[in-house]
Amino acid sequence: MKQRAVWPAVLAVAALALGGCGSASGTRSSPGGSEGKLVVWDWKSGEAAAAPYIEKAKADFARKHPGVTVEFVAQPYEQYYTLLGTAIQSGTGPDVILFNGGGRIRDRADALLPLDEYVAEDRQRLGGWDAFTKDGKTYAAPVTLQGHPIYYNRTLYEKAGLDPASPATTWPEFIADCATITRKTGAKCFALGNKEGYGIQFFLSALGSGVFTPQQYDDWIAGKRDWSSPHVKRIFALWKETQDAKLNSDGPNSTAMFNDAFAVFQSAKAAHVIGLMSDVGHWKDFSEFLTADKLGVMRAPVVVPGTTPSLAYDGGIGYGVAKWTKDPKMAADLVRSLSSTDALSAFYAQAGAIASDTTIDVSQGGPAAAAIVADIKTGKPALHVALSSQTLDLMGRLSQQLLSGSITVDEVVKQLAASDQAG
Amino acid sequence: MPNGESLTSVRPVEAGRTDRAPQRRPLPPGGASRRRRGGRRRERLAPYILLAPAVLIIVLLRLWPLVLGVNFSFTGDGDRDGTVVGLDNYRELFADPLFRGALRNVGLLVLLLPVAVAIPGLLATFIYLRVPGHRLYRSAYFFPAVLSPVIVGAIFNLLLAFDGPLNAVLGGVGIGPTDWLGDPDVAMFVVVGVHVWATFGMGLVVFLAGFATLDASLLDAARVDGASLPQTIRHVIVPSLSRTIQFVFVTTMIGMLTSMFGLLYVMTSGGPEGSTYLPEYYIWIQQGQMNRPALASAASTVLFLVMLVVGLLQISLLRRAVREV
Repeated sequence: MKQRAVWPAVLAVAALALGGCGSASGTRSSPGGSEGKLVVWDWKSGEAAAAPYIEKAKADFARKHPGVTVEFVAQPYEQYYTLLGTAIQSGTGPDVILFNGGGRIRDRADALLPLDEYVAEDRQRLGGWDAFTKDGKTYAAPVTLQGHPIYYNRTLYEKAGLDPASPATTWPEFIADCATITRKTGAKCFALGNKEGYGIQFFLSALGSGVFTPQQYDDWIAGKRDWSSPHVKRIFALWKETQDAKLNSDGPNSTAMFNDAFAVFQSAKAAHVIGLMSDVGHWKDFSEFLTADKLGVMRAPVVVPGTTPSLAYDGGIGYGVAKWTKDPKMAADLVRSLSSTDALSAFYAQAGAIASDTTIDVSQGGPAAAAIVADIKTGKPALHVALSSQTLDLMGRLSQQLLSGSITVDEVVKQLAASDQAG
Repeated sequence: MPNGESLTSVRPVEAGRTDRAPQRRPLPPGGASRRRRGGRRRERLAPYILLAPAVLIIVLLRLWPLVLGVNFSFTGDGDRDGTVVGLDNYRELFADPLFRGALRNVGLLVLLLPVAVAIPGLLATFIYLRVPGHRLYRSAYFFPAVLSPVIVGAIFNLLLAFDGPLNAVLGGVGIGPTDWLGDPDVAMFVVVGVHVWATFGMGLVVFLAGFATLDASLLDAARVDGASLPQTIRHVIVPSLSRTIQFVFVTTMIGMLTSMFGLLYVMTSGGPEGSTYLPEYYIWIQQGQMNRPALASAASTVLFLVMLVVGLLQISLLRRAVREV
């Protein structure tokens, strides 16, 4: 009896192992949707701060295409790409789709229409195109820029007797300033949250330009990464040094970056934080606590002499057009409306996003916003964005081990090199 | 007689409820065959028709998806989507130190299981024995069980933060701060502790229900004979509650292996250094973050097998223990 029950099960498993079939991809049906209507998917249009932006973009589009209805469907961000994946599988998704730049859009580029012929006029006006480009073709028009400026608290600088207008430009000076701040005010140097392993990503990208030579930097972005070079090791050694020298806020491995680490900075318990430019943890968030004129943005200190620090940023979010849309020209016009100067100005003013349009006047945003925008021209893509999600995940865990002192820098770069080459 | 033998082999199904009373087996083989001869077709079909809804639900909604999932785990991800890759996913799983760490943590949970069962058991005993204030304790103990793991996690995140109240209290009595959720040697125990705190109320209620069936005269007899509390527990309560204990063991184990996701997600995100990964968290990361659904299916299959083996082992071990008592 027992044997009779076991054998079919064994055979079934064997059959599955040998003939495993089926997949995540479904059959593609013909596109749906109706004439005179465009459906947009995003995770922004539901936010109050984004409402004026959407209104402006809709008005701009309505001028060009009166009578066409535009429907914005706001999806929850946590499930956005899962829902989008399902829509792409069925081939009946929205016409215009919001994407994060980088891997998120590149992985799904075969469901999108190249926009190069439609957006030629916007090339000069907008920045951050690279993040939405794959194999020389552009798949979305950038809306915001996302990057990692080093923010500092000018009040703490003043209390420590330092000049907030001229923060340190070299690493030794920076360490000395931090020591002064901690001695005079009790505040730590960095607010660090590395619970999810994001801390190391921000650190790598914000300080990398002060460690890598321009050539090394460009090679890294282009995929030619020499993990055994002394400069790469220097960055990870620097990460460890900041912890050993007690520059970081307490318990970084149990502090979430969003938003516990930012809260540490906002409550003036730390003088610096590596934050974001758009979305959250950015200049407008911080300004609400520290006031706009007390929030500074500094360039990365020079760690290795001869390097030129620059702002690390990429295209943040941008709208693309689905392959199955009925009228590509009309959909592309909506994308252009969504990245028009008027609309982006509203997005900047209300949501505090650093828009892709660098012609927007940011003089009202205080010194931090002005400093960020001024650095965009010379900025470069962020180092960590070039890595695969597997490597980033591993780097997060290794960085925690570095902080707790249970691994060496050599071992870290060895493991990362193996992961980077595999991915 | 082959007929009689095949009938005998069906017996355990019937005996499932009466278990220790095989002598009460109702019909001798001869009687059965007499009835079968006289049985009409409708009567023969009736049990199948009555069983059909349950069987269909189990097959369509449980077994079939399970088979699909196992099947899916033998296919590839990304570029190899849909192609047969044999055991590649399983090979990759067992080569991944993160997954091996997750399995080690499952082992740790199994080791901590007796503690997780003993706590509600002991507290239920105290309530049953009417310690002063037992009514208050009964509701207080159950209270955390109604909180969502996310809320529990958030509360303990605050309490256990490096600059949080627990470290402040410890600092007050001269004990240096511990990074409860940031130290890889401590974090897993902390999360398990919080999980036990949040869920032991359920086990407690089951134990109290078990006590309701306990024969009070046995306790009185033990008391008259002058048994101490430990003796009463050892020789009266534990044997009488063996079924309940068995049930709580299995449900607590399943709870620990499948319901700690919320706590892990909120409290540690699998960290620090990947030390609090459990298979279910690993599955979620691979499927949602790394875009590797087939690898996640393979991990799910492994988790399923682990649960199956652990569950069966527990039941057989406990059966033996019960018999010895």
